[in-house]
Amino acid sequence: MAIVRDATAPELTAAGAFQEAPSRPLGRALRRYAPIGIGVVMALAMIVIAAGAPLIAPLSPSAQFADAVLKGPGAVERHALGTDEFGRDLLSRIIWGARVSLQVGLASVIFGFALGVPLGIVAGVHGGRIETCIMRGADMLMAFPTLLLALIIVTALGGTLPNEILAIGVALTPNFVRLARGLALTIREQDYIMAARALGSGQLRVMARHVFPNALYALVVVATLYIATAIRTEATLSFLGLGIPPPTPSWGNILSEGRQYIKCCPWITTFSGLAIMLAVLAFNLVGDALRDLLDPRLRGE
Amino acid sequence: MFQYVLRRLLVAVPMLLGAMSIVFFAMRVLPGDPCVAMMGDQATTEALADCTKNLGLNRPLAIQYVDYLWRSVQFDFGSSLRQGYPVSEYIARMFPHTLLLVMASAIVAALVGIPVGIVSALKRRNPLIDYPLRIFALLGLSMPVFWLGILLLIGFSLHLNLFPLIGGGDLDGVIHMIRTGDLFSNPADFLAAVGDVLHHLALPAFALGFTLAATVSRLSRSAMLEVISQDYIRTARAKGRGEWAVVYKHALRNMMVPLLTIIGLFVAIALTGTVLTETVFTRPGLGKMLVDAIGARDYPLAQGAITVFTMIIITVNLVVDMLYVVVDPRVTYK
Repeated sequence: MAIVRDATAPELTAAGAFQEAPSRPLGRALRRYAPIGIGVVMALAMIVIAAGAPLIAPLSPSAQFADAVLKGPGAVERHALGTDEFGRDLLSRIIWGARVSLQVGLASVIFGFALGVPLGIVAGVHGGRIETCIMRGADMLMAFPTLLLALIIVTALGGTLPNEILAIGVALTPNFVRLARGLALTIREQDYIMAARALGSGQLRVMARHVFPNALYALVVVATLYIATAIRTEATLSFLGLGIPPPTPSWGNILSEGRQYIKCCPWITTFSGLAIMLAVLAFNLVGDALRDLLDPRLRGE
Repeated sequence: MFQYVLRRLLVAVPMLLGAMSIVFFAMRVLPGDPCVAMMGDQATTEALADCTKNLGLNRPLAIQYVDYLWRSVQFDFGSSLRQGYPVSEYIARMFPHTLLLVMASAIVAALVGIPVGIVSALKRRNPLIDYPLRIFALLGLSMPVFWLGILLLIGFSLHLNLFPLIGGGDLDGVIHMIRTGDLFSNPADFLAAVGDVLHHLALPAFALGFTLAATVSRLSRSAMLEVISQDYIRTARAKGRGEWAVVYKHALRNMMVPLLTIIGLFVAIALTGTVLTETVFTRPGLGKMLVDAIGARDYPLAQGAITVFTMIIITVNLVVDMLYVVVDPRVTYK
């Protein structure tokens, strides 16, 4: 919260609420980069935790301690966040659960990106009947909200890690198609595309060497925001019992199992939900801040 | 205008067809024989064959597909495998519950989200106002509705004992009273029943409404920012109108177009939100019906629920598209 304090302190003495915020270089830099800094630190922390789960987790996520069933945080010293109904250490399960969330979050966005962006660029650059076909397909998938589409696919295929990635990836694809097509439509009118064509570049070369690199930054920014969506969707599917089945810990299924014990042991649902929220928040912060840097006119939207 | 409406309708039809095809084929891929699910493992081979024939599952896939489409158009989704009722009857019974939840959370989201978005757009240079509002929006966006729901249940239902833990109140009773005219002969009972329904509705509507409010506030913030930087706003200021008049007379009216888009998006998000909200609060409704149907492998019921969800979303988007013309005379369609 350093950023809020720093930015508001001089404002408190200012007379009017409408006044331009003070433009001290340090304050401005803090305001501009603090959200992305906080987001990046949180996202990196999550990646480190997920990658190093075997080293970081104090106990095994599946070890059952018969002497510590449903104990609150700190009630038994070795269980900092308490235990669940099988006496398993909640902190270790949440740390291991980060793996599922991050794997699904990253892989499904990469999947949607790899499938959607080429289609979108082809639609935008090529136009004509191909464009109509691709865009109608995307519109059709867009008629389903992301969660509903992922839910249909994962129900049809069964809840495993690859299926979850596939389901969420497909559900995200139409978003990438639309975005890439929009960008391609603008880029194809640029002079450098005409120059490339004049120099004899074919359609494919124009798309791969000129349109794609110029759209890449905007695409990556939006992809970051979709990581947040993917992580939340994964948690939701697991919460509904359609994701990775227990005993493999994922934040969604920890929360779902904890639902039966909210009366005696609210810490299970509280901490697993907190983990979901922080992870989603991290990628939202990074994506938002990157978008602001990309297009200052959109700042804060 | 008429031509546009017609064309837009013609585009919606293949979209709906496509969406329904996805549902149909996804349900065919599902593991497990519906007849085994219905009759159990102990059923004899003849009984299973009989059941397959009755459900029409022995027919060619193409015939089944056309049949499904034709029946869906007439809102005939077959019968629930587990309960035996027609699916359409089920949906009709659950629909008012979900509609009520969506409307209540829409009210919460609009009352919280739109003012928050407008204020944060207008006061974006005042960090004392802008930062808390942006943090609020980010939290709302990042907080899964099922977690917020559980936190509310822990706090308000379990500890403070203020709200019921499960159920949706006797909405069927209320509807029945309205239909039969009992509300006039027995106003006290009616009010008590309505109060009970609202009592059950409060927490779910708040949970769903709050998470939606974040999206609404962001969208209305950007809509306001877009409008406020237009030339006609500068003109209005330049001719000496007060800030209040500029915002209410000029900016808000022009915000209506983007706001309509919000409503279209909103229904889609809210409908998926009801799936989770109803599950967490153990409320009857279409969303909970869908989750239960999937869990019980009750395919006709799941298929019907998903088809109805999709129909609602496509219809709402269609209506929103057409409302643009009404709200903004500059929008013309050729």
